Amino acid sequence: MDLGVAWTIVGGFLNVCVVLAVAPFFQGVLRKLTARIQSRQGPPLLQPYFDLLKLLGKEDIESGETPAMQRFAVYLALATVLTIACLVPMGFGAPMNGSGDVILLIYLLTLSGICTLLAGLAAGSTYSLVGISREMMVMIALEPLFVIAIVVGAMHTQSLRLNTVLNGSVYAAGDFPWSGALMLVVMLLSFQAFVQRVPFDTSEAETELMEGPLMEYSGPKLALFKYAQFARLVIYSALFVALFVPWGSHWMFPLGWLLFWTKVFVLVVLVTAVAATHARYRIDQAIRFFASLIVVAFVALGLASYGY
Amino acid sequence: MTARARLEQLKQQFGTSILRADLPSDTRLFVHVEPSAVKPICRHIFRDFDARYVISIGIDDRPFSGTFLVAHDFAFDKEHLLCSVLTQLSPENPKIDSISDVIPAASWAEREMRDLVGIEPVGHPYPKRLVLPDGWPDGLHPLRKDVSWDHVPKDFDEDREFKFDDPPEGCTVVPFGPFHPTLDEPAHFRLYVEGEMVRGCEYRGFMVHRGIEKLAESVMSYNDIPMLAERICGICGCVHSVTYAQSVESAVAIHPPARAEYIRTIMLELERLHSHLLWVGLACHIVGFDTLFMQSFRIREPIMWIAEKISGNRKTYSMCLIGGVRSDIAPETKAELRAVLDKLENEWRPVVAAVSKDRNIQKRTRDVGVADKKLVKERGLVGPVARAAGVDIDCRRDHPYAAYDRLEFDVITEQGSDVWSRVLVRAKEVFESIRIIRQCLEKMEDGPIQLEIKDELPAGRLGLSSVEAPRGESHHFVITGENNRPRRWRVRAPTYQNLQAVPAMIKDQQIADMTISLGSIDPCFSCTDRLETIDLRSGKVRVWSQDELLALTRKKA
Repeated sequence: MDLGVAWTIVGGFLNVCVVLAVAPFFQGVLRKLTARIQSRQGPPLLQPYFDLLKLLGKEDIESGETPAMQRFAVYLALATVLTIACLVPMGFGAPMNGSGDVILLIYLLTLSGICTLLAGLAAGSTYSLVGISREMMVMIALEPLFVIAIVVGAMHTQSLRLNTVLNGSVYAAGDFPWSGALMLVVMLLSFQAFVQRVPFDTSEAETELMEGPLMEYSGPKLALFKYAQFARLVIYSALFVALFVPWGSHWMFPLGWLLFWTKVFVLVVLVTAVAATHARYRIDQAIRFFASLIVVAFVALGLASYGY
Repeated sequence: MTARARLEQLKQQFGTSILRADLPSDTRLFVHVEPSAVKPICRHIFRDFDARYVISIGIDDRPFSGTFLVAHDFAFDKEHLLCSVLTQLSPENPKIDSISDVIPAASWAEREMRDLVGIEPVGHPYPKRLVLPDGWPDGLHPLRKDVSWDHVPKDFDEDREFKFDDPPEGCTVVPFGPFHPTLDEPAHFRLYVEGEMVRGCEYRGFMVHRGIEKLAESVMSYNDIPMLAERICGICGCVHSVTYAQSVESAVAIHPPARAEYIRTIMLELERLHSHLLWVGLACHIVGFDTLFMQSFRIREPIMWIAEKISGNRKTYSMCLIGGVRSDIAPETKAELRAVLDKLENEWRPVVAAVSKDRNIQKRTRDVGVADKKLVKERGLVGPVARAAGVDIDCRRDHPYAAYDRLEFDVITEQGSDVWSRVLVRAKEVFESIRIIRQCLEKMEDGPIQLEIKDELPAGRLGLSSVEAPRGESHHFVITGENNRPRRWRVRAPTYQNLQAVPAMIKDQQIADMTISLGSIDPCFSCTDRLETIDLRSGKVRVWSQDELLALTRKKA
């Protein structure tokens, strides 16, 4: 076994472990901070760990219409998110740099959304069906944004390699990175939707749909789904940092590594602050908002193809 | 125009159909008419006099006059007049012409009369069961005097299912309730949904009946009932006890001392304060804005503490009796109350300023849940829902009670008819309430807080009272009776009318707007569901019988 393969395996495993370890902590930060903004005490930072443990220890009730598909959806959701973790550089290079490229990344991102659809479909209740129809609309409108951001980076660097693209490649244009700056704005405005937070948590909307697709989940499966969602927040933040805020990540360990996680942390804080100060948009309002962002994103793509 | 002038007009129009009339004061009018003339007279009052429909009441008066009674209540808001049209029906097979086709607002009241008293509204456009549980046997009417208050029907059919209407072509059914995170109480809206659009709905409520009216008429005494009345609602408790006490007081013509009236006013306004703050919080929660939800609860909390100081309860409970109130407001409590009001005003002002500029919230509430002037008139809508549609009604000014005739305040109206206007109306009414309480504290004179009532209250008198609850007009109708308790007591909470308009408000809107539209009337299902002899499970889960469920819960515990 040569060194490259060993690094892929060990690095990938390390990334997965790190994501699993810190995801509930970031969730804890999010909850605590939300509570402070709302003049509440808030739960301890470690509460999400206990919540997951508690849920994992509960009776496993399968109340949906197709339990087999429900089971499949939840495993697939967590597996997808953890696979993405292997593809994203987190303070080091991407572990699977050699075995995957950004196209694979784009596919996996879409797959993680499809898991939610499967879950809702398997539950089969009216509310989860409304939830997945919303989720589907959001996915169709949202997915192109990230794809365009990655394609812009790939065009600038003439490469599809993970380490090359996920390293601030969007700014690699000639004089001033117009396309990169545009995409940064677009991604900032839509980031809440990628991590499924207010004002764009329409598909779960507790007060309307009672958690939508997740409605029929309980116990250990709910724990895994929640875990996947926690991890999603970390991974999207990591992707965002890698694509748009790369500065300092190549510094010597542990400086670069610490800086990377600090940036992710700041992003989570930002997400929390936005979520705590907004009302939920209605699905049609959200889609209209995403549509205007897509137009801007295409302008950025056009600029990128001319080297700006 | 006075009560007498209105009576003369009616006499000119209908002549001999009007049997007799009672004018106990310039603000009350009771007209006894022929059964056949009820419908034309009601239409005349509603359409030509442009009065507001309040409620219809069915009464089993057989032990006293040998007949059934029906009363239709109307309010002339500009003339400060409450009017009741009464008629006597035969004791066998009582029937009356339905007025629902000319006054749509009467629909529920007539269905309820049919369920509970067994008076058949002939020609009702939608004579479906409204109040009684699904398995309740036909032909048994719990509010009749020959049915005891603790009667349990032997032939109650647990397996009988409620027959819902068929959904329109091309629509799927989304069950909203009986339990849903945004409904604090059980109620069932069957939404007919086409994609994300709501095309119609059917309502099935009255799931938590507690038989309050029957209990009051059967076993309680005049001064017990305020303690029962305030338990109709978890929010506007004081409203119901004051409305009840005032309707009895107006029936027997007694007047509580001035200081008691001021204390009642203060408690009612405290109630409005905490109710409106709660509502703004809940509305924000419904549209996903939890920060303001938490903040408004924080701002609200001191009001609960001062209520506890005054009444001994965190709420405004146990204050009101016939002829006065139970506890006084001490000078040091007065000072504390002033401080609470100052703090509240200072904290609420920036919240209102922030909310009224927030585009995000406006996006979710503008042109949503529209109830325009026409709907307000047809359905008899009240309170902030009416005022947000530019209908300038407020019982505090139109039918003054307690100390409101001695106070200065503005009635807040908006023109938008939508949820956003209701937000603004409620947000601004908070400041008016603060102003009212400050004036009360200023003007309150020393003196007794309770009238001494030496004689037994006379029987057979009619009393009406309307109080402006936070959600709108709360109206009580009382016939005084023997054994120190009323013969008939009918409660009409504001939600009773407002809820009937929800299907019209949510039609052709998105599902996402359903919750905030319903929330915007500040629904109080417990107020609506106050009436039933026993609470039998009308549950959705048919495989469990009530006994089995009980056994199950006990096993788990």
